Amino acid sequence: MNPKGYKYTQEHEWICPEPGNTGKVGITDYAQSELGDVVFLDLPSPGTQVEQLKKMGEIESVKAVSDLFAPVSGRVLEINQAAIDEPGLVNQDPYGDGWLVRLELSNTSELDALMDSDKYDEFVARLSEEESE
Amino acid sequence: MKPLKKTPFNKVQHELKARMVDFGGWDLPVWYTSILEEHKAVRSRAGMFDVSHMGRVWVTGKKAGAFLDRLLTKSVPRLEIGDAQLCLLGLEDGGILDDLVVYHVGVERYLVVWNAANIEQKLEWLFRWSGSDPDIIIEDSSSNTLMLAVQGPAVCQLKNLKDLSHLPRFTITETKIGNLSTLVARTGYTGEDGFEIITDAANALPLWESFIEQGVKPCGLGARDSLRLEAGMMLYGHDMDTHTNPFEAGLGWLVDLEKDDFIGKNALLEIKHRGVNRKLVGFQMDGREITRSEYKILKSGQEVGQVTSGGYSPSLRIGIGLGYVPIELTAIGTQIEIMIRNKPVPAHIVNRRFYKGGASNEPQRI
Repeated sequence: MNPKGYKYTQEHEWICPEPGNTGKVGITDYAQSELGDVVFLDLPSPGTQVEQLKKMGEIESVKAVSDLFAPVSGRVLEINQAAIDEPGLVNQDPYGDGWLVRLELSNTSELDALMDSDKYDEFVARLSEEESE
Repeated sequence: MKPLKKTPFNKVQHELKARMVDFGGWDLPVWYTSILEEHKAVRSRAGMFDVSHMGRVWVTGKKAGAFLDRLLTKSVPRLEIGDAQLCLLGLEDGGILDDLVVYHVGVERYLVVWNAANIEQKLEWLFRWSGSDPDIIIEDSSSNTLMLAVQGPAVCQLKNLKDLSHLPRFTITETKIGNLSTLVARTGYTGEDGFEIITDAANALPLWESFIEQGVKPCGLGARDSLRLEAGMMLYGHDMDTHTNPFEAGLGWLVDLEKDDFIGKNALLEIKHRGVNRKLVGFQMDGREITRSEYKILKSGQEVGQVTSGGYSPSLRIGIGLGYVPIELTAIGTQIEIMIRNKPVPAHIVNRRFYKGGASNEPQRI
């Protein structure tokens, strides 16, 4: 189950809105299980402006390199140094200690374009069904 | 789209919910639980790999040995019964059609185990040179047999393999595992001690279960690749192919230029005489970035080659790779750069045997 109160992209990023137009961003449990063991993070430096659903970084697992998309537009406030040092955190705790960046949102209404947890649960269930076919 | 080919272990792999991929037309697991866990299991204890997609071809008949000797780069008559030899299947121009292991199983009975890629092309090659000689019988037994590699430092402690602990490395024997008739070789592709077991496809489940019961970890293609790369073993189609010659690939030791005429000998003599201007090297990233196959290799900003195999080394916890560079850049310690995300990232040449633990007395493997 994906946490309530978070918002989700079709590319399997989440954002957890915080008071004061900021939010933490990470990848979902589905994403980490698809990627497998994460071993390197290429995250945007603090201060970088990112744009909704545009690439803002890369996540490398043992097997593959994947793009990381910004769930909303804004400015990077902080990146998770603990996850950079120990990328396995993304697999172990994708919604908690494995967060990736903190953003200052430039337009909170962009959150409306994202899925809530119920919708994302359904979205992932559909993908998993397709996969097992 | 053609349906994917399935090995005799396909059902059990799906039951274990392994992450399956299309690997050259085969439905195979890339991992069961995690590449890192599987990698670690093989380095520390024991893991097993379904390698049934690899080709298993019997060459028998009165002229079997002489025939293989003409096709392969190492001396086949020198192999005693029970011996296994890594060698190359060479083209007339010195290019490499495959690397393979030939097993001398019995009197004029040889088993060739080669890579899954281009099997039709390779079989055609064999048939082309055998002609219609009734004393050379070529038989592909890949589809009615299976191959399971059990690898790791603890393999000789497994109760159904411990009687085989006397089997020297790079030899093969016909034996029973439990009540199953098998061919067992002391070979592998992980840099660890291990066995490769060939038996009837119908034996898949009991064989698999016998190892599961002993805690042998099922391992997928992901760990197979990271293990072989750490051990400095090359992958056909990436690190060598029909356009590379054995000397630039660092495989000169697999070419016996002393032996009688064999396919490619003249070309190889000439290449050896001329010398090579590039060589396959191992390199390690200076920082934490990970290099991947096909990334560019640079020296002082100039492109000088390409990565042929690259990835994260779970044992060394750093990015490692193989690639061809000009001969003047091959010395250990030479600084190079790898183009990652459009930026040159520093790396340096190291010994190709990245991981130095494991089965260290392994002169016959790369």
